[in-house]
Amino acid sequence: MTIVSGKAEARRPLQSGRSDVLRKMWEHRADYAYVLPAIAVMLVVIAYPIYYTIELSFFNTPPGLQLRDKIFVGFNNYTAILTSGVFWQVTFNTLIWTAASTFFSFVLGFAAALALHRDFIGRGVLRAILIIPWVISAVAASYIWKWIYHSDFGIIGAVLVELGWAERPPNFIDSVSTVLPSLIVVNIWREFPFAMIMMTAGLQTVPEQLLRAAKVDGANAWQRFWHVTFPHLRNVSTVTILLLAVANFNSFIIPWIMTGGGPSNASHIWITHIYELAFGRQRWGVAAAYSVLLFLILMTLGYFYVRALSSNERKEGNA
Amino acid sequence: MAHVVLKDLVKTYGGFKAVNEVSLTVNDGEFVALVGPSGCGKTTTLNLVAGLTSVTSGDIVIGDRVVNDLDPKDRDIAMVFQNYALYPQKSVYMNLAFPLQMRKLPRDEIDRKVREAARVLDMTQLLERKPRELSGGQQQRVALGRALVRDPAVFLMDEPLSNLDAKLRVQMRSEIKRFHQDLKATIIYVTHDQLEAVTMADRMAVMNGGYLQQYDSPAQVFAHPVNMFVASFVGSPAMSLIPLEASTANGDAVLTSAEGWSLALSEANARKIQGATTRKIVLGARHSTIKLHKSAVAGAIPAKAYTVEPTGDVTFVQAFLSGAIVNISVSPKIAVAPDEQIWLEFDQERMHLFDGETEMALRAN
Amino acid sequence: MSTIAETASRDQIRRRQRVDGWRWAGRLFLVFMLLYTALPMVWMLSTSIKSGFAAMQFSPQLWPDQPTLASYQKLLDPQNSVGQDFLRFFWNSLIVSTATTILSVIVAVPAAYAFSRFTFPGRNFLFFAVLLRNMFPAVIFLVPLFILMRAIGLVNTHGSLVLTYLTFGLPLAIWLLKGFYDNIPVQLEQAARIDGATRFQAFMLIVMPLSTPGIIATAIYSFIGAWNEYIYAYTFLSKNEQLTLPVGIQRFFSENTTDFPGLMAASFMMSVPVVVLFLLLQRYFVRALTEGAVKH
Repeated sequence: MTIVSGKAEARRPLQSGRSDVLRKMWEHRADYAYVLPAIAVMLVVIAYPIYYTIELSFFNTPPGLQLRDKIFVGFNNYTAILTSGVFWQVTFNTLIWTAASTFFSFVLGFAAALALHRDFIGRGVLRAILIIPWVISAVAASYIWKWIYHSDFGIIGAVLVELGWAERPPNFIDSVSTVLPSLIVVNIWREFPFAMIMMTAGLQTVPEQLLRAAKVDGANAWQRFWHVTFPHLRNVSTVTILLLAVANFNSFIIPWIMTGGGPSNASHIWITHIYELAFGRQRWGVAAAYSVLLFLILMTLGYFYVRALSSNERKEGNA
Repeated sequence: MAHVVLKDLVKTYGGFKAVNEVSLTVNDGEFVALVGPSGCGKTTTLNLVAGLTSVTSGDIVIGDRVVNDLDPKDRDIAMVFQNYALYPQKSVYMNLAFPLQMRKLPRDEIDRKVREAARVLDMTQLLERKPRELSGGQQQRVALGRALVRDPAVFLMDEPLSNLDAKLRVQMRSEIKRFHQDLKATIIYVTHDQLEAVTMADRMAVMNGGYLQQYDSPAQVFAHPVNMFVASFVGSPAMSLIPLEASTANGDAVLTSAEGWSLALSEANARKIQGATTRKIVLGARHSTIKLHKSAVAGAIPAKAYTVEPTGDVTFVQAFLSGAIVNISVSPKIAVAPDEQIWLEFDQERMHLFDGETEMALRAN
Repeated sequence: MSTIAETASRDQIRRRQRVDGWRWAGRLFLVFMLLYTALPMVWMLSTSIKSGFAAMQFSPQLWPDQPTLASYQKLLDPQNSVGQDFLRFFWNSLIVSTATTILSVIVAVPAAYAFSRFTFPGRNFLFFAVLLRNMFPAVIFLVPLFILMRAIGLVNTHGSLVLTYLTFGLPLAIWLLKGFYDNIPVQLEQAARIDGATRFQAFMLIVMPLSTPGIIATAIYSFIGAWNEYIYAYTFLSKNEQLTLPVGIQRFFSENTTDFPGLMAASFMMSVPVVVLFLLLQRYFVRALTEGAVKH
């Protein structure tokens, strides 16, 4: 009679390729315990919703959120979206919104990080003040700017009238032509500090020796920036721009609270539009189809995001 | 104190074999150095002994226990790391006390042992400092102290001197040697620096590519390297290895060079060559066994000095022979200029001959 | 000879002028950014201490002649209904944010540690799957999560918010912390394990204290995210007594659209906790970003 302990059993090498993976997973079984809570939460709150959204996008639902009574309609929801005029207007708005917000947030944030790189008296205070818009709630920011833009009592309008640049206060967010740029200014106000923090962190890793070597080699300030600092920050910049683009693409609060998408859809972007379709007009199936399209777009962006991150990973080595 | 036995030790990562059937015995109280170039498997071997890496196959015995499946904490070992691995948030005192606290010793006994270790290592005045406030040498000493307070069966040291500057390294080298003599401790010491191994160890295990090449006393390894790798790795400057071809001239065994010259062999060396399965022979000679002549001498090979490096005690001359670099040490009184014509005479008794294909040392039958 | 010296000095002068040019551009730019950032906040403060009448005055006063704290008194007075609501919203936000923060740290710390230290199969896949969460907007998850929360009976509870907030805080938290653990030499843990600690003890006694700045940064990030969140709270909560501040303020002032001093005072009070928290701990945050996200 032989007694085989559980441990010895587990250590017996298994041969085929698949059981090799299983064996490895078994050997590392304790490691999974550390990530299990995170994965479990993510599964419940992410995987299930994604599955559900995809399913719902092929159904028509009667109003009132009686989702049990949904009717299968195939690709109807998708064709309805792509043939509607609103879709193209909202897509155009979203592109302008995302591109302009991301570009200016990054440029202003990067420039601020550079300007604050050299030490001077009051630098810490100045940096802290510049970060505040990113920290406060977007709801608060929306109300502050809504008040600033107010068509009767707004401070900007009043100043313009006072200076004689306008007859009467302009309707910044009640006019189709100015609403989107006005909201973008608010969004940049909230987003540029994030770029500033990221680029500040990045600037601290630029090797001082390299800059000194470039100086010895006769490079001027601009050349040092262009040939040393900027290439060194390429990875941080990529990640920052991607994160900004995704955040802007996904923004909701500022347009929702300030204008609710109006006037006449001029400030509707994808997310606010989807929200209105779902919770305003109860067209769950169409909203889900929109979400799936959005999902596909974001997956493409996500591919580049992961690639930018994993190029960081690779440099880190495989220790 | 205890002995350590490694039996057919194997460690693979995926398909890569980091340690390949390594077997060796470290006697009780012995100082053994694991030495080899980076990536040779020496650190992995040490981590296997420590229990920081799991064994793929083979056995590790410490004392009389097979410790393969034991946690590091249960193996009764202490380890000194290359980067010292001092706990940065703890004072020196708490660093030394930590292993004792983990063993739940009574507080007064911990205090006694910590102060004793601090006294032995002459760092009582440093006890309240944080590691970052210490110099490299002091940090090294704290790391030693942390190993010492434990009174473990085996000390493991992973390149403990590599982060020190040259002068301090020499000083700490003798301190560790002294430490070994006083404690009669069993020590396994990993280093890439053959000089540390030669100067400190009772026996050295030379590793390359995951394989144990030779395991013997430094004197034996130095005098009788088993193959070309060991020959070129141990000793500084490295042994010169000159590729030649075996042939006969007038019935006598000679080694001929592609450059046209040939070297007559002594009877003993001729017998070694007869045992070889190939005519490709590599001649190995250490710098001190080559005599440099400034004029032609019978049996000496003509060459041209390439570089001359005076070090004070001796002057090293480099020359090319058969496409190989040859190191020769001469008295500083002999002036040699670069590009000067010189003649080299090899000491037949102390030359090494290697099989040019297997790279193994040729021995007289 | 003299020409060379002259050219050199002229070069030097020109270079100094150019450097000064850059520096002046930088200063000018910073002044512009300071105005852009600070003026809206100053305007918020100045409006919040005006009377309702003064706020509606044309042309507006930059700083009120007769500043009044009436709006703040109203919001903080537990005797009247406005104050009751505001204080309840404030308390709800505090509960939800604190619970989210504590849970985030508990979940993120072991996960980040595992991603940093272990090489189990599927590690990279899981890591990027977690990061991908950052890509998706709340709206995608809103409907199914609403239905899910209804199914498990969490609608109109703070639990639904905490569970959801946990997931959007986790990816960055794990990412930041992983960077921290990557920078803690593995030898420290090995030394501890040889010194007699178990793996868990080595983690708790040696690694945890060293990663405190990372944990603080993670906590701040989770807290601010939860405190400011709007869309889930807006959708999941309908009962007045459950609302968090961002939603509560919105509901409240959509009924009183002209009370701008009150709205500005509420916005200011809503901002105070997160701004104070961030300013106190921002050095940890920037350091965590440097070590976690940037320095690779």
